[in-house]
Amino acid sequence: MSEAAMLSLSKSLGGRLAGNATLKAGLVLSGLILFLGFVAPFLDPVNPYTIHPSHALQAPNGQFLFGTDELGRDALALLLSGGFTTLIVALPAALLAFFIGVTYGFLSGLGPAWLDRLLMRLLDVVLALPSLIVLLFFAALVPQSNFNLILLLGLISWPSLARLVRNEVLAQRGRDFMLAARQSGASSAYLARVHLLRVIAPILVVNGTFMIGDSVLATSALSFLGLGVQPPQESWGSLLQGALDIAALDPWWLILPPGLLIFGALLAASLTGQGLLQIWGNKR
Amino acid sequence: MNAVLEIKNLSVTLKRGGRDVTILDQLNLRIAPGEMQALVGESGSGKTIAALAIMRLLPPGAAITGEILLNGENLAAAVEPRMRQVRGKSVAMVFQNPLAALNPSRTIAAQIGEAWRVHQGGSAAQARARALELLDEVGIPDPKNRLNDYPHQFSGGMRQRVMIAMSLACSPHLLIADEPTTGLDPLIAQQIMTLIARLRRERDMAVLFVTHDLSVVQEHADSIHVLYAGRSVEWGAAAAFFQHPRHPYSEALLGSVARLGQARLRNIPGNLPEPEQRPPGCRFAPRCAYASAVCSTAYPPADAQGATLAACFHPLPRTARPAFAETLAPRPARNFAPLLDVTDLGVRYRGAGGWFGAARRLPPSLAEVSFRLGRGECLGVVGESGSGKSSLGRAVLQMIEYDGQVTLDGHDFHAMAGRAKRDLRRKIQVVFQDPRESMNPRMTIGEVIAEPLRLRGGLNNAARRARVEALLGQVGLNPEMAARHPGDVSGGQAQRIAIARALAAEPELIVLDEPTSALDVSTQAMLLNLLKDLSLKHALSYILISHDFAVVSYMSDRIAVLNAGRIVEMNETAALLSAPRAAYTRALIGAAPQLQPMQA
Amino acid sequence: MMKMILRRLASSCLSLFILVALVFFLAHLTPGGPAYSILGQKATPESVAQLNQRLGLDQPLLKQFGLWIWHLLHGELGYSYLLNRPVGQLLWVYERNTLIFYTVSIIISTALSIALGLIQGVWFGRWPAKLIGAFQLGFYALPPFFVAAMLILWFAVDVHWLPASGIIDLRDPHAGIASFAAHLVLPVTTVSLLTVSSLSRYFGEAVHEELGKDYVRTARAKGVSFASILFRHVMRNALRPLITILGLSFPYIFTGGVIVESVFNYPGLGWLMWRSALSQDYPILIAIVLVIGVLTVLGNLLADLVNGLLDPRASYE
Ligand SMILES: Nc1ncnc2c1ncn2[C@@H]1O[C@H](COP(=O)(O)OP(=O)(O)OP(=O)(O)O)[C@@H](O)[C@H]1O
Ligand code: SF4
Ligand SMILES: [Mg+2]
Repeated sequence: MSEAAMLSLSKSLGGRLAGNATLKAGLVLSGLILFLGFVAPFLDPVNPYTIHPSHALQAPNGQFLFGTDELGRDALALLLSGGFTTLIVALPAALLAFFIGVTYGFLSGLGPAWLDRLLMRLLDVVLALPSLIVLLFFAALVPQSNFNLILLLGLISWPSLARLVRNEVLAQRGRDFMLAARQSGASSAYLARVHLLRVIAPILVVNGTFMIGDSVLATSALSFLGLGVQPPQESWGSLLQGALDIAALDPWWLILPPGLLIFGALLAASLTGQGLLQIWGNKR
Repeated sequence: MNAVLEIKNLSVTLKRGGRDVTILDQLNLRIAPGEMQALVGESGSGKTIAALAIMRLLPPGAAITGEILLNGENLAAAVEPRMRQVRGKSVAMVFQNPLAALNPSRTIAAQIGEAWRVHQGGSAAQARARALELLDEVGIPDPKNRLNDYPHQFSGGMRQRVMIAMSLACSPHLLIADEPTTGLDPLIAQQIMTLIARLRRERDMAVLFVTHDLSVVQEHADSIHVLYAGRSVEWGAAAAFFQHPRHPYSEALLGSVARLGQARLRNIPGNLPEPEQRPPGCRFAPRCAYASAVCSTAYPPADAQGATLAACFHPLPRTARPAFAETLAPRPARNFAPLLDVTDLGVRYRGAGGWFGAARRLPPSLAEVSFRLGRGECLGVVGESGSGKSSLGRAVLQMIEYDGQVTLDGHDFHAMAGRAKRDLRRKIQVVFQDPRESMNPRMTIGEVIAEPLRLRGGLNNAARRARVEALLGQVGLNPEMAARHPGDVSGGQAQRIAIARALAAEPELIVLDEPTSALDVSTQAMLLNLLKDLSLKHALSYILISHDFAVVSYMSDRIAVLNAGRIVEMNETAALLSAPRAAYTRALIGAAPQLQPMQA
Repeated sequence: MMKMILRRLASSCLSLFILVALVFFLAHLTPGGPAYSILGQKATPESVAQLNQRLGLDQPLLKQFGLWIWHLLHGELGYSYLLNRPVGQLLWVYERNTLIFYTVSIIISTALSIALGLIQGVWFGRWPAKLIGAFQLGFYALPPFFVAAMLILWFAVDVHWLPASGIIDLRDPHAGIASFAAHLVLPVTTVSLLTVSSLSRYFGEAVHEELGKDYVRTARAKGVSFASILFRHVMRNALRPLITILGLSFPYIFTGGVIVESVFNYPGLGWLMWRSALSQDYPILIAIVLVIGVLTVLGNLLADLVNGLLDPRASYE
């Protein structure tokens, strides 16, 4: 994004941030989740992988604030390291998908008509395959590692953003101000860089935000299904899965926290995105 | 005589941004059976709100005070169930933009029939028969076969006829029409107004029609009521009003409407005040040429010294000749050096259909168009919507592909490429209809105007800024405007900025595509005058595209009439107006809404 | 109208063709190629060679593709050696369960969404709509497996009202319809809660938007009552986006399904997909990807056609 676009974005943001409760809530929650994911794990001295067989499956108490799991591991430490793993996979994956989606959308929206038709037809088909199904297929196919997981999520989650960007580019590129700029001698590259980016930037930011939420959900879902983050590493999804395996023992302290944290992360992305949308939405 | 509708001291308050704002203030108005009264005002004056208040269809949160007497019954105090009986039965309403005002997914028979059945009961078959009768009455050809059609299957004018048929279903005493012809082609608009006039005569129905177009009023209304910024300024018999307007605003308004052969339009300085910022006392005072100290003390009482009533402390005397009457003068013929040469221009769009680029062939939008344009000359292009006006402009601008030749200063665009072509193209600039659409909403006004300078290069930042300020000055705007965003300026200001941006490229020709049709009358006049002055000063040429014959005739040295993609007639303005040769031109001139020239 | 339907049909066929080509490409990605993907990873080299010959996998790629389609058209979706049954047969058993599950869920969610959406649209900006809005936002952000976990924790573990999982074998003829229904309650609730949260929002916004349109004002000016306006004028127009979304969200409802079916151990297609992914049973995976792709394309087509019937303008382009 060009510097000027950034500036105009941040200017319009600064003015109205104070007035928007949704956005404020979203940003506060996002900050909290990021803190829990990236700072807190390094503040907690407890090793999540240490097993205390004598303390297995204890409800929260003075020694284990969040209780222990069936192997006797400290639930709090697991939760924090699981958060780190979840985010370290979900965020880069979202970034990758974002860049693929934006590039694809711009290519399709700005390229010649035949390219657009081809890319959109392809997209129709790709969109016809639910991403979780395709994820499962490839998760079974490739050797499992966090790096592969990031690649997989990134390479599979971009199509809906691509379509959105393409439609927006098409809608914007015929607007009068684009025509007027071209009349003054603007090149296509100039139009894309200066005009298009400026008007599309809000949509990119908002959907990038939503994408982070989707990515956290996908990471957690795959891990929950046993095809994401692999043992001995834990993630919020796999912790929830582990707890659910022994649901009959009613281990609420193992189910609630990871579930609520995933919920919190999704809510943070959703609130932030909707808040931004409310601020920018009506200003075309 | 008994009034059908009598409004006493009606005020309307709406919620805006959490605050109560009085939109309409102390309206008094009377309509007799069979009378056609026009409610006139510029945008935001409260016309629509007044009409909706009578129907009690105001947006939620609205509060009204005063009385609305319909055949003696006070609707302002009526409860909602009673209003439902009144709406559509005693008072009916026709809205602007019939495409949106009709339900897209129900047949017109169902929609017209519904208006009847709601009040009269009866079977579906009876409702259908009634719908057929009504469609016939409003002049839908072959109504029997159109009953089951949907709104999108009708043309704009036909849709408005359907709307009117619907409003007549229960033979109302009063018909309210809110801008029934806005957005329609002049030929069609005239037919609709004639239809309404005929119906009210045949049915002795009172009509209140809301409009911003004074020429329509002059042709059809018995009486007129002028609003400015939410208050009545002048009201009375229409004929008297047009002969001797007594309120300074009326006079200024009449002076800013283009008429045939007019040498100069009247400017009204300043802008319409927003409802929150209406001045105390007379609301027109900040813009009034006759204002004195007393004017801003209190709202002026109605003055009854003339044939019409005017709310003014210093109304124009009954015998005064309005100022604009003097400005009528013949335009001197001029000679121009050659600039643009268009030969055999043709445009054919490609249909959207087909897979993998197998586009359908459409009929040409423009064919065999040839003309020359001189330096400093203005060529007006008129025609109905779809006649190819904009395609002509876009081809000259090199925005679309075309056949034939466009030659500027002796250089044929088709024979050029790369940088040279871009430099030549820059000499032709454009001003669009919608002033806000033509600026990137995320740029400042300064950036918008500086863009052509930056693209051409050769100026440093300081020089550029100085040039932007100079350009803003040239179009009559404050240099401080440069820091604002397009969203924070009025429509008229935005259009001036668009002109400044065009000037920044130092063009020889500007294509003006309906430059004033989104603007209010007074703003329109200001802009047209500005364009005229600029042309004289810089020997700028214009191609002015418009559906408004009066505007085109005011601006242009020559006029080209387009029909179905071809030029049917082209001539000097005066000659074309006084002796049109093509039948189509005669029809267009006949339908063109324009004020009659003042009687001597 | 006819022309529109034909166009859509043709366009869907093209999509299907590209889809099949894509899946063919996927099949070639699996370790050992399509022969393994048909025979399973445990196949012996001899049987692979044999099959390669029989399927013409030693032929040029284009011809292989043709042959592959040929087999598809004859319902040959491969053989799962892990489960020791032809994939086609297997799929049908699980697909039947999924269909029951989703038909029930979709009917419930659509009805609920319409009811909530109407309330939200009519009382837009006031407390009933705000309450619904909070519910929508909350459930929209709730991951399906967490919702499932909470439901299990409350209703199955704490109060023992309902069975926690589909341990019941649905093919067991003695299971009885009551037991079957009881096993459906929690999964259907989970899916419905999540679907309703987004579907009702779309519908509520559509109702609100339609209510603000000019034709509603026209109807009021005719003296039509609010109930009539809502049900005769607004409903039909507001349902259109809902139908499109229902068509489009078909695959997404299904993806929620993998998770819900796995949590509740409900033997549907999603569950099968999950188990196959864990055990790397490629023939099944490929067949399911194909089947779902086809269903999605058909779902979109159906939504378009229904909309074409609801909207007289659609036939005109
Ligand atoms: N629903 C509303 N809420 C708040 N303000 C409104 C609403 N509708 C109209 N207004 C304001 O009331 C004033 C008068 O509006 P109204 O629509 O009556 O003007 P008008 O004379 O009909 O103008 P136009 O020629 O543009 O139709 C305007 O300032 C407008 O912004
Ligand atoms: S009252 Fe005064 S300011 Fe108002 S119109 Fe009359 S002269 Fe002008
Ligand atoms: Mg209005």
